[in-house]
Amino acid sequence: MALLEIKNLKAHFHTRKGVVKAVNGISYSLNPGETLGIVGESGSGKSVSQLSYLRLLPSPPLRIPEGEVLYRGENILTMSDDKLRALRGNKISMIFQEPMTSLNPYLTIGSQLIEPLVIHSKLSKKVAWKEACEALNRVGIPEAEKAMKVYPHEFSGGMRQRVMIAMALTTRPEVLIADEPTTALDVTVQAQILEILKTIQKETQMAIILITHDLGVIAGISDKVVVMYAGRVFEEAPVDTLFENSEHPYTRALLKSTPRIDISQEKIPVIGGTIPDLSQLKTGCPFYERCDYRKDICQAEFPKVRKVSSVHESFCHVENFK
Amino acid sequence: MKPTPILKVQNLKVHYPVRSGFINFKPQSFLKAVDGVSFDLFPGEVLGLVGESGCGKSSLGKSLLRLQEPTAGQIELSGQDFLALKGEALRSRRPEIQMIFQDPYASLDPRMTIEATLREPLEAHGLWKSTQSQKTLNKILDRVGISSVALSKYPHEFSGGQRQRIAIARALILNPKIIVADEPVSSLDVSVQAQVLNLLKEIQKEFNLSMVFISHNLAVVKYIADRIAVMYLGKIVEITSKTELYSRPQHPYTQALISAVPIADPKVEKARKRIQLQGELPSPINPPKGCAFHTRCPIVKESCKAEAPKLKDFEKPSWQVSCFEVR
Repeated sequence: MALLEIKNLKAHFHTRKGVVKAVNGISYSLNPGETLGIVGESGSGKSVSQLSYLRLLPSPPLRIPEGEVLYRGENILTMSDDKLRALRGNKISMIFQEPMTSLNPYLTIGSQLIEPLVIHSKLSKKVAWKEACEALNRVGIPEAEKAMKVYPHEFSGGMRQRVMIAMALTTRPEVLIADEPTTALDVTVQAQILEILKTIQKETQMAIILITHDLGVIAGISDKVVVMYAGRVFEEAPVDTLFENSEHPYTRALLKSTPRIDISQEKIPVIGGTIPDLSQLKTGCPFYERCDYRKDICQAEFPKVRKVSSVHESFCHVENFK
Repeated sequence: MKPTPILKVQNLKVHYPVRSGFINFKPQSFLKAVDGVSFDLFPGEVLGLVGESGCGKSSLGKSLLRLQEPTAGQIELSGQDFLALKGEALRSRRPEIQMIFQDPYASLDPRMTIEATLREPLEAHGLWKSTQSQKTLNKILDRVGISSVALSKYPHEFSGGQRQRIAIARALILNPKIIVADEPVSSLDVSVQAQVLNLLKEIQKEFNLSMVFISHNLAVVKYIADRIAVMYLGKIVEITSKTELYSRPQHPYTQALISAVPIADPKVEKARKRIQLQGELPSPINPPKGCAFHTRCPIVKESCKAEAPKLKDFEKPSWQVSCFEVR
C-alpha cells in the first residue's frame, strides 16, 4: 500500500476577483523510502497542493471542492483537526524555503527544537534536549550543546536550514515534505544540504516529497518525478525515463530551455508566451497556447491519462514525438 | 596587437563602515565587500562575474557605475579616469555605462508609465527630441519584444519577464557602450529566463555592447559570457575564458563551485563526483588571515594560513589564478 496517496485533489482560492484554481485535480502516490520530486514553474500549484491538505493555508479563501488524500489509507481531508495536528509535524514533517522566516526569532534554537518532541513524542524536556542535540549532530552542526542556546539570527542561511531539517526529523517522520529547501542557499551549501537529506533517508527509510523549480536538483535526488503546470499534473515518470524519454511537450520544452554547465549552446530553445492566469483558465489544456504540438482537441478538453508504461503517465493528446 | 580595454579596473576596493554605537559614530570596523579587484573589459566582450552571496559581486557592479562610490582604486572608462570626474563632466559620461537590476518589480517605478520610464533617461541628459526620440522609443521597445501599446501602461500590468524586457529597453535607450547586468534573470522562471537570456545575447551582439554579467548561476553565465571571473570574499580568485574555466578549472574554489552545480540529467548526476566544501562563507568583516579560502579549502597547506596568494598567470597572461598550489 502506498504511504501517501493523492487522488483528484483540487484546491481553489475564492477571492474577490474570482476563483483562482491553483490545483485542478491532481493524483499521485508516494511509497515508503521513495523520493518524489515535484517540479514546476511559479504558480504551477506545486506548493499549494501540499499545503492545502495539511491545512496550512487560511480557509477561506482556500476551498478543497474535491479529492482525497490518503495517509496509510486514511483520508486526511476528513480528519478532525486534533487528529491532523497529531500527524502534522510528527509523522508528516515539512521544511520550508525560507529558513529566515520559518524559525521564531525570539526563541533559542534549542527551545524550538524540543517543541515537537515534547508535544508529539511526549518526552520530558531533559530527554528531548538530548534528542535534539543528536539531531543537530546528524545534520552536521558542530558543538550541538552550544548551538542549542543561540538564536536564529546568529546562524547563517545554510545553518538555519540545517536546524529546520533537524527539527523536521526529531519526531522520525515517515513523510518529509521539503518545499524548495535549497532555493535560498548558495550552490556549495545546497550540495551539503541535499547530501544530508540523502544520507538521513538511507538511514531512516523516510519518504521525501521534494518541491523545486530546479531540474538539476530533481535529477540528483528523486526516484520519481511529477511535472506540474497551471494546477495540473502533466507527466509522472521515474527520474531516468522523464529526462530521457519524456512523453509531454511541456516537459521536453522545459528540459531544453534549462541552461546546463556541461553543454555549450549558441541559443537556448525557449517556450514562447507566459504562464496563464489561474483565475481565467479556459477549458482544455492550459499549455495550449504555448504548445508546439497543439491540436484542435487540446482546446476542447483536458487530456485523460495516457499510460506509457506501468510507471509512466502523461497527460497529452499528442502521442508521437520525434 | 591587443585591443585597448573599454573599461580598466585596478585594485578597486569597496569598504562599508560598520558602526555599532548610536553615539559612538566612529566606524568600529570595515566590511570589505570588494577588496582589491582588477580586470579589463574589452569592446564587445561579455565578462561573467560569479560567486556566492556575500562575495561582493553586486558591490563591484554598482561601483563600476559609481552608484556606490569605491573606497579606493581606479576605473578607466575608454582610457579616461572615471573616478576623477565630477559634476557635469561625470554626468555627460554616465550614458556610456548603464545597469540592469535583478528585480524588475523593484527597479521600475510603479507610478510611472512605461513611456515616462523610458523618456526619463533621455530627458535627464537633455537628449529628448520629440518626434525623433519617440521613434527611438518605439524602435527599442519593439526590439525587446514589447508592443508599443505598452507605452501608456504601468509596470504592474506586465509579467516579470516583460518587466525585465522593459528594464533592458531603459538601459539601451541612452545607447551605452557598457551594460552592467546584476542577476538579470535570477527572479524569472526557467521558460521566461531563457527568453530574456536569448534577448540579452542578441542585443549584445547587435549593438556590439560590452557587458559585465553578474550571476550566481554558473550555467547561465556559461551561456552568455566570453570570459569569467570567479569571486570569493571580495577578491577575484580565478579569471579566464569560459572554455577553460569550465573544462579545466584551476583554483580549488572554482573546482568546488562547478562541481556543486546540479546538472539536469540523472545519469550525469549519478556518475559525478562532488568536491564537498566544508562549512560556509566566512564573514567579510573579519575575513580569515592569509588566503581567505583556507577555512574551506580541500588542499589547504600551513603556508596558506599565513600569507594571501596573489593573482598569477597560469599558462598564459589571460588566465590568472590566485592559489599557491596552482603552478
